[in-house]
Amino acid sequence: MTSETPGTQVAVATNAAEARTQPPERAGQSSVPVEAARAYTLLILIDEKPGAVDRVVGLLRRRRANMQSLTISHSEQAEVTRITAVTTDSDVAVGQLVEQLRKVIDVREVSNLSSGQIVERALALIQVNSDQQHASEIIGLARQHGAYIADIAATSITLEATGSTAQVETLVNLLQPFGIRAVARTGSVALPRGTEESEA
Amino acid sequence: MQVAVPMTQTTGAKQTTQANRSPEDEEARELSGSQILCEALMREGVELLYGYPGGAIMPFYDALTSYPALRHVLVRHEQAASHAADGYARASGKVGVCVATSGPGATNLVTGLATAFMDSTPIVAITGQVAWSLIGRDGFQETDILGITQPITKHNFLVERVEDLADIVHEAFRLAQGGRPGPVLIDVPKDIQFAKTLYRPRASVNSFEHYRSTRKPEIAAETISSAVELIAQAQRPLILAGHGVVLSQAYEELQAFAEKSGVPVVTTLLGLSAIPETHPLVIGMPGMHGPAHVNNAISSSDLLIAVGMRFDDRVTGKVAEFAPHAQIIHIDIDPSEMHKVKRAAVPIVADAKDALAALTGAIAQSDHAAWLQEIRGWESAANERGKVLHNEVLPDPTAILDAIRKETKGEAIIVSDVGQHQMWTARFYTWTRPNSHITSGGLGTMGFALPAAMGIKMGMPQETVWVVAGDGGIQMNIQELATLKQQGVAVKVAIMNNGYLGMVRQWQEFFHNHNYSETPMTGPDYVKLADAYGLKGMRITRREDVEKAVHEAMETEGTVIIDFVIEATSNVYPMVPAGAAISNMIQKENEKYFKIRDG
Repeated sequence: MTSETPGTQVAVATNAAEARTQPPERAGQSSVPVEAARAYTLLILIDEKPGAVDRVVGLLRRRRANMQSLTISHSEQAEVTRITAVTTDSDVAVGQLVEQLRKVIDVREVSNLSSGQIVERALALIQVNSDQQHASEIIGLARQHGAYIADIAATSITLEATGSTAQVETLVNLLQPFGIRAVARTGSVALPRGTEESEA
Repeated sequence: MQVAVPMTQTTGAKQTTQANRSPEDEEARELSGSQILCEALMREGVELLYGYPGGAIMPFYDALTSYPALRHVLVRHEQAASHAADGYARASGKVGVCVATSGPGATNLVTGLATAFMDSTPIVAITGQVAWSLIGRDGFQETDILGITQPITKHNFLVERVEDLADIVHEAFRLAQGGRPGPVLIDVPKDIQFAKTLYRPRASVNSFEHYRSTRKPEIAAETISSAVELIAQAQRPLILAGHGVVLSQAYEELQAFAEKSGVPVVTTLLGLSAIPETHPLVIGMPGMHGPAHVNNAISSSDLLIAVGMRFDDRVTGKVAEFAPHAQIIHIDIDPSEMHKVKRAAVPIVADAKDALAALTGAIAQSDHAAWLQEIRGWESAANERGKVLHNEVLPDPTAILDAIRKETKGEAIIVSDVGQHQMWTARFYTWTRPNSHITSGGLGTMGFALPAAMGIKMGMPQETVWVVAGDGGIQMNIQELATLKQQGVAVKVAIMNNGYLGMVRQWQEFFHNHNYSETPMTGPDYVKLADAYGLKGMRITRREDVEKAVHEAMETEGTVIIDFVIEATSNVYPMVPAGAAISNMIQKENEKYFKIRDG
């Protein structure tokens, strides 16, 4: 691999990566130690009404949720919006958050799932420096990780990667040495894993 | 104009007829949004509204004159409208209603909504909004009141179609009262108030049936049996009764539970008067200004049965050291209160009334006489009642409270404002009548007492209502004297006037090296002030005149203000510094206290 990497971009990326691994300042409840914090995925179904998203986001802010990502989109039902929120906190604090969310009138359903219980995917568009010398290497890396080539220009390649947050993270890290120009990432979307029971 | 309508006319024949009409009898009529608003309020049994007109709410005020059964009280500041609605709700148990115009009218309601939200009282606020075509364009007197009140209401509505208006009003009332009560706001654009539609009255609307906070939770049977087990094992149990007991009117259930279990009862600030303080099991108020024996009892307790209280930081002090030996049974209607501050061994999500009745049915008759005696022993060791004043001549806060209690035979509703007088009132008045103590507990809103007392008196005209306020707080909504005069409403006002923002001054003395930054304050001549409003005022500077003045106030018709000049620098003892453990009390004057950061 090449060592021709623009320093500043790497530095920024490294800081961001560091920031992500920093432990949270608090675990949400005064009697719960910081070490008790871990990531939870909240699946929140809300009425598709003006201001409904605002109520949920406002509550997450007010109750000091340690938000890692927030994805808002339509759901399988008409007039229902699905919010996927990933938060890092203690079990007790997340339990609190769930109960608070359930008090919001426009919220229909909240489930709090740990990583074992869900199928989780995120998407990233990664624009990386490229020239003739490195293009095939980048494309190879992309193929290995199941990423698509979204765009090729003379000096850059834009990759489209989907996978778990960790998988996307891995690819971003592997591309760092080429010089990442920009990364646009979605937060996670998640669904509970299927069960043997048939849907009612 | 509605000037000085006698109180007895509020439940007129017209309203009764309206309420009894069945929806089937009613023909659909074309009505304007404003008329529909009035119709829906009538249907909800509203008899009193507190409000202030203005541009964006004018169509509603226009319609209002055709609905004389809806008695509107013109306040002198919208903040007072929200506090009056709150007071009305707290005393009557019904939903309080306040009305304001858009922009500044609506924002003036905010403090009252936040007060009601913190103390879980049901009010519905109706605000005018600029016309739809202007929303989002910075129209005159436009403000995003939905955005502003989102964190301090249970829910709020912006009415988009006149067809939805009636249902929204009914939904708002269900939401305000259901589950854990709270304020709800309805924002009605001016063009919606004008718009006409076919109005079909509906008997009941609840489109939030999926929303569990409007329902009474079912008690999980296993939680009761776990609680019974803990109660049976406990050697040093305590009941902590909070505002939830008052809100669910579980007075008898609380007493029955305490008597059968033999467990001593602690009442939080908003739990005061939930059970008579003369009852041998009642030991007093906990927390920052609670007496030593109560805080000691909590510190040595092995089981707290918390009923409708939320472990506020003024109760717990330093959480990690609060009740260090106790397991907790936590009864609350709101599941989000469980484990919020203290981990509960047995969380019981239920209405206080239901849970207490279920527990009383399930426990064995018991008694904790030795434990109670131990607590009483601590009590006699530290009787703070005499510590309030040192000056022999000036009126003493305890003397004022004693005089009010004696004169009203303990039957009055006492509304305190916020500050030192509030703590003296909480501590030194003897609460014997259910729901006779009303104050802004959670938000600590200065200026609450006078307008709230107006709401209370108008909701319960047969009751005697006394305001106890400081010279700081009374000046915050003093303009309502004009409303009281105009409406012919009589509340009696006792000002404990020390020429300071006393509680802040006390903190400065204790924690800020006697640096009395911006706490000395002057006030008006309250006798002249009362006179200017057409009311009676008195100024009392000698302790021996206190009883006579209180008696005279009771004998005088209408609202009376007594300016009691009290010692400038008396403190509330004991005091637990903010953020300290409740075992760390400052007990008396000049006692060594440690320096602690303001919390």
